[in-house]
Amino acid sequence: MKLIKRKSETWQYELNQVESVLLKQLLKNFPFTGNVPVKISKADADPKSFEREKLLNESLAEHRKELKKQASNLISGEKLKTSEKGHLLTLNAEEREILLQILNDIRVGCWRALGEPETTEMHKPDCSAQDIARHQLMNLAGYFEHHLIGLTERETGRH
Amino acid sequence: MSLLLQGYFDTNKRMPSVAEPVTIPKPFIEKRIKSDDDLAPTFYVICWDDPVNLMVYVTHVFMKIFGWNKQKAEKHMMKVHEQGKSVLVREGAEKAEFYVHQLQNYKLHATMEPAE
Repeated sequence: MKLIKRKSETWQYELNQVESVLLKQLLKNFPFTGNVPVKISKADADPKSFEREKLLNESLAEHRKELKKQASNLISGEKLKTSEKGHLLTLNAEEREILLQILNDIRVGCWRALGEPETTEMHKPDCSAQDIARHQLMNLAGYFEHHLIGLTERETGRH
Repeated sequence: MSLLLQGYFDTNKRMPSVAEPVTIPKPFIEKRIKSDDDLAPTFYVICWDDPVNLMVYVTHVFMKIFGWNKQKAEKHMMKVHEQGKSVLVREGAEKAEFYVHQLQNYKLHATMEPAE
């Protein structure tokens, strides 16, 4: 996957066949993990913390539902078109942010499901098939994130 | 009566006037009364380190949410990475809460902590 064109608020990426299939699978099956409640404060010193935390978790759950709705839109024929070299993914600024949020939801969700390890490398030789799958999903999401944010070859000076 | 004395006792002649004392107003020192906003508690919005969020991603999110330039966003990202956390902004409760929601939507580990 590489950014081939950026025009104003539109980004165009070129994906090969494998990348296209994998990205479609990620978006089609999103979310891969359940909602995990988060804390709004570490101190818990503020009396309103409880209410704020409840609101935050409700809001995050709603936001996730919205991301799920948007996920299928991102892999529609209009956005992901077949080209000579593979596939072209065209996104506006908002769609690019949505895709980034979906990918990072997958990445962080898998990391949490793995028990929040100190490293994202797979070390344990006796990993379960489920953990291996989570590692793969986590790395795959990271791969797409990296390229989604990446600069065009012209911007980086590489040709 | 000499002309000299005549002039002296001339009752029609007014006494030299003495200026009435003028009270100089005290300099006005504005006492700023604290508004509700001043008294309201403020919060630090803090981003905490984790091993999963990509550095390039964290920088991108800071730029997007706070409108920072790349240099400032990278500075905070590096602080998170090297020191375990970075105080991103100090705001009133409502705005701090808004920023935490935004950062959490991107799955960054962000919290709001009382500033005092």
